[in-house]
Amino acid sequence: MRLQRAFFWLIGCGLAGALAGWPNGAADGLVAIKGGRVLPMNGEVIEAGVVLIENGKIKQVGKDILIPKEAVLIDASRGWILPGLIEAHSALGLQDPGIGGSDELSNPNEAPLLVLDGINPFDKRIKYAGQAGITTALVAPGRGNVIGGQAAVIKLLFGKPVSEMALLSPGGVKFSLGEGPKSAYGEKGRLPSTRMGSAYVIRKALVEAQEYLAKGKDYELKKNKGKEEEKPKRDLALEPLARLLDGGMTAFIECYRADDIMTALRIVDEFKLKAVLIGCTEGAKMAEEIAKRGIPVIAGPLGIGSKRTETEEAALSVPAALAKAGVKVVIHAENALGVGAQEELPLAAALAVKGGLGREQALRAITLTAAEVLGVADRVGSLEPGKDADLVIFNGDPLAYQTRVDKVLINGAVISERKD
Amino acid sequence: MRKMLVYSGFLTLLLTSFCFSEEGRIALKGGRILSVSGGEISKGTVLILDGKIAAIGALVEIPPGAQVIDVSGCIITPGLIDSHSHLGLGPSYGVTEDNEMSDPVTPQLRVIDSIHPEGVGAEKGSFRAALAEGVTAVIARPGSGNVIGGQSAILKLAGRTVDEMVLAFPCDMKMALGHKYYYASKGLMPMTKMGAAYLVRQAMLEAQEYRDAWLRYQKDKAKKPVTPPPQRDLKKEAMLKVLNKELPVHIHVVGADDIMTAVRLAGEFGFSKLSLGHADEAYKVADELAKRGVVVVVGPDMIVHDDEGRWINLADVLVRHGVEVNIMTDADVVQQPFLRYQAAVAVKYGMDPVEALKAITINPARLAGADKRIGSLEAGKDADLVVFNGDPFDLQSRVLRAYINGQLVYEAPTGDVRPGANR
Repeated sequence: MRLQRAFFWLIGCGLAGALAGWPNGAADGLVAIKGGRVLPMNGEVIEAGVVLIENGKIKQVGKDILIPKEAVLIDASRGWILPGLIEAHSALGLQDPGIGGSDELSNPNEAPLLVLDGINPFDKRIKYAGQAGITTALVAPGRGNVIGGQAAVIKLLFGKPVSEMALLSPGGVKFSLGEGPKSAYGEKGRLPSTRMGSAYVIRKALVEAQEYLAKGKDYELKKNKGKEEEKPKRDLALEPLARLLDGGMTAFIECYRADDIMTALRIVDEFKLKAVLIGCTEGAKMAEEIAKRGIPVIAGPLGIGSKRTETEEAALSVPAALAKAGVKVVIHAENALGVGAQEELPLAAALAVKGGLGREQALRAITLTAAEVLGVADRVGSLEPGKDADLVIFNGDPLAYQTRVDKVLINGAVISERKD
Repeated sequence: MRKMLVYSGFLTLLLTSFCFSEEGRIALKGGRILSVSGGEISKGTVLILDGKIAAIGALVEIPPGAQVIDVSGCIITPGLIDSHSHLGLGPSYGVTEDNEMSDPVTPQLRVIDSIHPEGVGAEKGSFRAALAEGVTAVIARPGSGNVIGGQSAILKLAGRTVDEMVLAFPCDMKMALGHKYYYASKGLMPMTKMGAAYLVRQAMLEAQEYRDAWLRYQKDKAKKPVTPPPQRDLKKEAMLKVLNKELPVHIHVVGADDIMTAVRLAGEFGFSKLSLGHADEAYKVADELAKRGVVVVVGPDMIVHDDEGRWINLADVLVRHGVEVNIMTDADVVQQPFLRYQAAVAVKYGMDPVEALKAITINPARLAGADKRIGSLEAGKDADLVVFNGDPFDLQSRVLRAYINGQLVYEAPTGDVRPGANR
């Protein structure tokens, strides 16, 4: 018995060692990528460009860069080099195969939950997405709860501890309007059974958070004046909402129908939230309203997979219509099957181009714009000195259907390489 | 002549009578023709007469009075055929008509009795949207909730009624092996995979008995004219068609175990033809399937993963093992218009584009027993064809024109009709 345990302990150590050695081991020192065409996304395309990486960070990007002798050279002279792709709305690591489960459906307000506590780093979908060139993702609760919990932006480091994967956690509070909560709670005869019920759940929570915030400020004020009172009790449900109110965190609001979009905007106006809308299949109808408030949209589905009643108007032209009105647009993979699979994120962008979106805008929508909207543009999203060396080497134009992913790097280390 | 509903763009809906005079003569001239059955013609003409393809080739004499359409720089393909669709049965997230969940064995059901010819709810309009992406026919099947789901049909995507749309009905019997969670949750058979296989076997045996009863009746009647006939049974009548090899069988499977169960049942009862859908593990038994001439309909997932997590381009792997492959959307799992993009994913990961085009044209036509009518560009076949402004697998390519029975059923709105436009 004891022998057996020792044996497993040894194996465990070996595994941990192997994991620790990868990919960080390769990330040390200098790596130089000689590209055919470098698309940094924050500036002009560089033909025959070089990306120089030092200790997992981008050191230099440009045309005439002296490659130090000691640098490990990656020849991608026929490839296109882009920043690692960003999937701006996913449930990666959250769903157990066959069971599902990205929603804690015990209460329509689950603000205190942290998605990071639910992510399984060994979820194979994380690996597959990484192999497809997706290096960063927003992981958010589903649309069943009105307030689903706190999302996380993670790097797709398959099998690493979630604390190491986390780029930003909490990365915002996830809200959902429309059919999601209605069907989850309406069927049980609970609040919210209606759209106005959902709006009330949010309003009530935010009003409570306002009071919580005021109480906290009042306490600090008095304390600073030397008048020590009993410290207000911490409230895990109100804390994240209070951070939304003081602008310290983003509200991600999933909404599809025009009326739900307007409800989201009313709430945003009322509580002066920093917000991002997710979905917006009827966004074309509300494009002016969204643009006027400067609220970005993570658009999708584009109508590749099954449509629900509220996503009836999903169409390839939605991102273009939003962009035309001046909305900052991010495209997320449909998470359907086949051409709509998460791994085909560049094809989703290509289909948005078919729907009228500009090519550059479409590429930015799955890289830099996504990073900005998720609040992680200081680290990822473009090939700029100082940013993390997360990049993807394609064997051609990423928006062309035949193009394959040759290599993917996170923090300067190769996480995936094409074999065939 | 039957009337056809003609969709002209998304804007106008014209109802026109077929009148085969000069109007029935159309020459599509100067395009690159991918005939599928007869190779490629780099610059040729397709001549349509009275709804049929009259001639095809580099040098085709154009009869006087024909409408000549210059399609230089464009690519002409046969109308695309989706090998597996639930189009018209309602959206997945809504009230659907896919599955009659009152009984796991419902061979008597006819899919055409559930199809709305325009689609309902979130699916409304998807017939027209599919034409705009070059899909001119689909094999519509009942869902996989039951072990025996019912009888399938191949439909053309033009017609005011489902009866006008039907090209062949029934074209196969839909079955589904594996776990049936709905019945299992109620403690009803089938709760296991062997339970599902038993129900198929039992239905086949009952069909045999039914056949014998009728044969006996014919014999007895000759001797004794007052012999009462056996009672008609619609379930057994339907299964009798399978037994008599009049009706091929399409089975929804997943794992290699279910796949081989399907193969066993086909051998045991002599199915005239077996096709499999959702057969994610077909790559594990590809040689077995090739040897027996089993057709695999790949999709809606185009890429599967093996036990080590490697990517498998299923359609490509199967073709390389000699398995005949069809590609599907499983609409609305992937929406009906996206058929060619499904094939494009297979091409992306290495499938020969010629094979991929076959998998969405002639192969499904053959599977449905409609290959004398559609699936390739050949003289004598129905004039169901599509004019693209570029590579049909290129996401940015557009359909400029689509014809069904020689009738223009879709025309791109002006503005993007140039070859290579929007690229």
